Amino acid sequence: MSAIESIYLVFLGTGFTVGFGHCIGMCGPIVLTLSLQLKHRPSFFPHLFYNLGRTATYALLGAAAGWMGSFTRLASGLGGLQKWIMAIAGLVIALLGLGMIGWLPVGRIFSDSPSLSGLLGSAIRRLQRSKSALFFLPVGMALGLIPCGPVYTALLAAARRGMEADSALRGAASGSAIMAAFGLGTIPALLILSRVTSAGWLKHRAWIYRLGGLAMLATGIYFMVKGIRY
Amino acid sequence: MPACSKRRAFLFRVILFTLIGLFSLSGAIAQASDPEPNCAIQEGACTLSAGNRTVTLNILPKPVRAMQELTFRVEVSGEAPSSPPIIDLDMPDMEMGPNQVRLQQVNATVFEGTGVIVRCPSGKRLWSATVILSQTTKAKFLFRVRY
Repeated sequence: MSAIESIYLVFLGTGFTVGFGHCIGMCGPIVLTLSLQLKHRPSFFPHLFYNLGRTATYALLGAAAGWMGSFTRLASGLGGLQKWIMAIAGLVIALLGLGMIGWLPVGRIFSDSPSLSGLLGSAIRRLQRSKSALFFLPVGMALGLIPCGPVYTALLAAARRGMEADSALRGAASGSAIMAAFGLGTIPALLILSRVTSAGWLKHRAWIYRLGGLAMLATGIYFMVKGIRY
Repeated sequence: MPACSKRRAFLFRVILFTLIGLFSLSGAIAQASDPEPNCAIQEGACTLSAGNRTVTLNILPKPVRAMQELTFRVEVSGEAPSSPPIIDLDMPDMEMGPNQVRLQQVNATVFEGTGVIVRCPSGKRLWSATVILSQTTKAKFLFRVRY
């Protein structure tokens, strides 16, 4: 096996091991949010599409890093955007948590007649009512931009591959493949977690549902604080 | 509101504030549980022994910040290594993926290479740079980076 092929396997394996540690900690609250939000619906395909969306974003970032052949240039361009993605994701998670507990003054997001107004309310309602699992693909793509240490490390490898490539196009292809391999590697852990958090008996116990709401609220606040400070 | 609902609402508020408090403290707890650095890299070069050699590591420019290109300079005294050392960058107790700096020989005892220390959104700043001279001869430097 050539060194070029083996690096993809290395990052597939890295994604797999990082998935069971780091990703469950960082993306676990998002998986929990999606699972609780899909209370009355099958959740495998929405979770799969969320993860594929995340992986697609990684592949695009890998292509950009490979094309530029520089990690620091890409990271400096992304920094501001990632900060806000993290803060906004935190806000949405916190609002969903408040809705689940029933503390949102403007009405429960999860009721049949949500009364949140504005763009955010509309987005949350669409998320809740969407019948298509494909809707979770762009959700995953957006959340794939949340800052993450192991993603940065994989991007470093993608940028190095771009530096060594004989053309920008080959660099982009190679960088994209490294990041796609990494992203695919992280999927099994998050899909397993989604199966656990989607267990019917778990979601239909009112007190667990409310406790999940509290966890989401705390996580949302944590994401917002980290995003603003980032 | 019935007494039972009031009690429940109170209980949920208590749990909520506890959770928020725990999250606020988690950063400080995480920093406190970190091992102590053995290298003040922001001040200058650090030296450790590895087998019968001493290894000196310096990272430039100062201050040493995450997410920027850094030059890693390693000086090995004693028996010269058979091949240029490799630096393995990682965080203690945090899986960050493979991040290695390949060094080039500058002269008989000095090696240099460039690399990037990535930023961890958890806020942790303690990193390790393990200078690998051979499979059995390594020097692990623990230091804090700036964000």
